[in-house]
Amino acid sequence: MSTAQHGHGLSHDDGAVHAHVSSVPFYIAVFLGLLFLTGMTVGQSYVDLGKANIVLVVVIATMKASLVATFFMHLRWDDKFNVLIFIGSLLFIGVFFAYTLKDTDRRGERDPDQNVHVWEKTGEAAPGGMPKKEHAAPASESGGSALPGAAGMTLPQH
Amino acid sequence: MSREAVTAAHVDSSPPHAGHGAHADAAHHGPVWLAHHFDTPAQQFDTAKIGMWVFLAQELLFFSGLFVAYGVYRSWYPEMFIAASRQLNKEMGATNTVVLLFSSLTVALAVRYSQVGNRKMTGRLILTTIGCACMFLVIKFFEYKHKFEGGLLPGRFYHPHLEHLVHGSPPLPDNTGSFFSIYFMMTGVHGIHVLIGIGVLIWVWIRNNRGEFSKEYFTPVDIVALYWHLVDLVWIYLFPLLYLI
Repeated sequence: MSTAQHGHGLSHDDGAVHAHVSSVPFYIAVFLGLLFLTGMTVGQSYVDLGKANIVLVVVIATMKASLVATFFMHLRWDDKFNVLIFIGSLLFIGVFFAYTLKDTDRRGERDPDQNVHVWEKTGEAAPGGMPKKEHAAPASESGGSALPGAAGMTLPQH
Repeated sequence: MSREAVTAAHVDSSPPHAGHGAHADAAHHGPVWLAHHFDTPAQQFDTAKIGMWVFLAQELLFFSGLFVAYGVYRSWYPEMFIAASRQLNKEMGATNTVVLLFSSLTVALAVRYSQVGNRKMTGRLILTTIGCACMFLVIKFFEYKHKFEGGLLPGRFYHPHLEHLVHGSPPLPDNTGSFFSIYFMMTGVHGIHVLIGIGVLIWVWIRNNRGEFSKEYFTPVDIVALYWHLVDLVWIYLFPLLYLI
C-alpha cells in the first residue's frame, strides 16, 4: 500500500494516502488458498513420512504465512522498507534457531578438537573428557550416547 | 524560543472544533486527524505503518523464544512429542485454524471497505472478526478443560488420568509434562494475544461507529488489522507443530 511516488524522493504529488485497494473476490481467493493448504497439512498428518514430516509441515505453514503477509497484510503493495523489517526479523529468528540447536543437538557428543565430552543437559565440559567408566570399551559408551535423539532420554520401557 | 511561542504554536495547531475530513481552517494545516508534526496524510500513514511493522517484528522475535524451546525439546525427545501430541484434539485445532483464517479474511475486508469509505460494511466485518475471535477462545477453553481433567498439565503438575486419555494412543513417557509446559505457554501466550486483539478490535469498531474514519483516514483500522493478521500468522505455525506431529 505504498503512497504515490514512493522511492522518487520526498515529493508526494498531493500528499494524500493512495492505498492499493484489492477486490473482494481477490481476498476470498486468498482465503480459499489458505483453506486448501490447511486441508493439505491436515491430510499429510495421516501419512507418516518420517523425517520429511516436519519439513513438509513447516513448508506448508510458510506458504500460508506468505499468503497472509503478502496479500492480507498488503506487503505486496507496501513500502519496501516494511518488507525489509519483516524479513529481517525472520532472518534473526533463523540465527537464534541455528545457534541454539547447534549447541543443544550436539551435547553428549565428543568434541574432537578439545577431546572433551559435553554433559548432555548442562552443556558443561565433563572434567577429564568423559565420565569415569573404569576404562571400559569406549565403543559401547559412545554408541550409547552419541545418538542425537537419545541424548538425555528418560523414556520408560513400556 | 520563548515558552509562550511554543504554547501558542501548540494551541494554534490543535483547534477544538472537529470538522472531520475537511480543511478545518486556515490556521490549521489540514484535517483534524492529521497530527501537527506531519506535513501530509501520506507521511502520517507511512510513519504509522513503519511503527507497526517494527512492533510486529518485535512480536515475532518474542514468540521465537517459545518456538526455539519447542525445537530444542522436540529434537531431544521426538517420541515423547509424538505420543503427547496424540492427546491433543486435531479436529478442534483444525476448526480453530479455519476460524482464525476466516477472521483474517473478514478483517482484511474491513480494511478494504474502510479504504473505500464504506463505514457500514467496515463495522459489520469488524464485528464478525470479533465474533470469530470469541469463538476461537471458546473452543480453546474446552480444549484446556479437557487437558485439566486428564491431568495433562505443565511440568511437575503433570499427572495423567488414564481413563481420560485418548484411546489407542501410544503410552506417555514420564517427561510428557515438558510437552505440556510448551503447549500451554505457546497457546496461552497466543490466547492472550487473541484477547488483546478483541480489545483493540472493539476500540476500532467504536471509532468507526463514531464516523472517525474516511477514505482519507483509515490508519487505525489498517494497523489493528495488521496486528490481527500476526495473531493468525503465529497460529498458522502453532497448529501443525503442536497438533499434527
